[in-house]
Amino acid sequence: GVHCGACRKMSVYELHYFNNRGRAEPARLLFAAAGLPYRDIRIQSEQWPEYKLKLPMHQVPVLEVDGTMICQSVAIARYVAKVTGHAGKTDLEQAKVDMLVDGIDDVMTKKGDYVWHEKDETRKMEKKTAFYETTLPQFLSHFEKLLRTNNGGDGFLVGEGLTHADAWFLCLADDILLDFPDIFSPYPKLAALVERIRTYPGIKEWLAKRPQTPF
Amino acid sequence: EKMPAYKVYYFNARGRAEPTRLLLAAAGVPFEDVRFEVEKWPEYKPKMPMGQAPVLEVDGTMICQSAAMARFVARETGRAGKTNLEMAQADMIVNGVSDMINIMIDYHYSEPDETRKAEKKKKFFDTTLPQFLGHFEKLLVANNGGDGFFAGDGLTHAETFFLCLYESISKENPNVLSAFPKLAALV
Repeated sequence: GVHCGACRKMSVYELHYFNNRGRAEPARLLFAAAGLPYRDIRIQSEQWPEYKLKLPMHQVPVLEVDGTMICQSVAIARYVAKVTGHAGKTDLEQAKVDMLVDGIDDVMTKKGDYVWHEKDETRKMEKKTAFYETTLPQFLSHFEKLLRTNNGGDGFLVGEGLTHADAWFLCLADDILLDFPDIFSPYPKLAALVERIRTYPGIKEWLAKRPQTPF
Repeated sequence: EKMPAYKVYYFNARGRAEPTRLLLAAAGVPFEDVRFEVEKWPEYKPKMPMGQAPVLEVDGTMICQSAAMARFVARETGRAGKTNLEMAQADMIVNGVSDMINIMIDYHYSEPDETRKAEKKKKFFDTTLPQFLGHFEKLLVANNGGDGFFAGDGLTHAETFFLCLYESISKENPNVLSAFPKLAALV
């Protein structure tokens, strides 16, 4: 838990998700970066039909904080970031972090659409091609540019330290690198950022020991 | 402290800019409400951080992404929840509502096949939307009986997103909230 200075009580964190990285991993990376203990619950698919009924929107991930349930992966990661001081220092910095996270979320959703929701094989391949030929390069170009506006781009995405935007970015990177290992070759600052996040204290150890899952 | 100069850039529509406009209005904060015609968009697009609208310009800094914009204004105007947990509760509603809005946008603008479009719309109004309205009603009720707001004891960015969703869905079905009395009263 985290020490609440006012009440001297430790909070208890439980993260509910399936046994994959998916939409829980940004929060897991943030817990790891802060060395903040939490229960990393991984639900089996057979449990799911009953399990979901107790969740606020019948979806995962859910972060339970002393019994209060927060759903929606972006809201969860932001909360963990705020508790651990990785959300951005000023309101404006936080807004910049938020906008980058939302941009990454959009791209992940678009990818998820053809991977999981498109049943027609021909349309699936068309969408995958459009994703890798158009959507993703446009997005990565914007991000390389936005990263460079932050003190030349040799640090993190926003401000001076790691934020939840970087956690999300690593998760996207892990995914797209599986399809195209050289996807970052036109984007040197982003490539270096990925390595920087991978070797961040706490995250480095987590990456070495986390369950290995295909996604 | 000097109030920052706010500009909201969007098309001449409520769309994804309206939650932010509502929050600025709720706080009585003046802002330049820049609305461009569709033909003018190619001029604006390259200036936007991710080539998209809406964008909120705050003393020259550009923030894109509708939820990020709204949350920033909410925070600046004291309507983002009083604790981290309250803000997370507001945020999760915003995300859930955005998921619904995105489904509508997808079938309306991105589905070229008329039959599939009608199927998706039907599935949304018959199944997905009622399920989520049920979740939102339950979450509202969990907050002190549901006669206030989604998070804490005041209006937050969650309400502005919900109102925008309501405006779209009620056009299709004016009785869309008949099974959700607390949500209807909230609107």
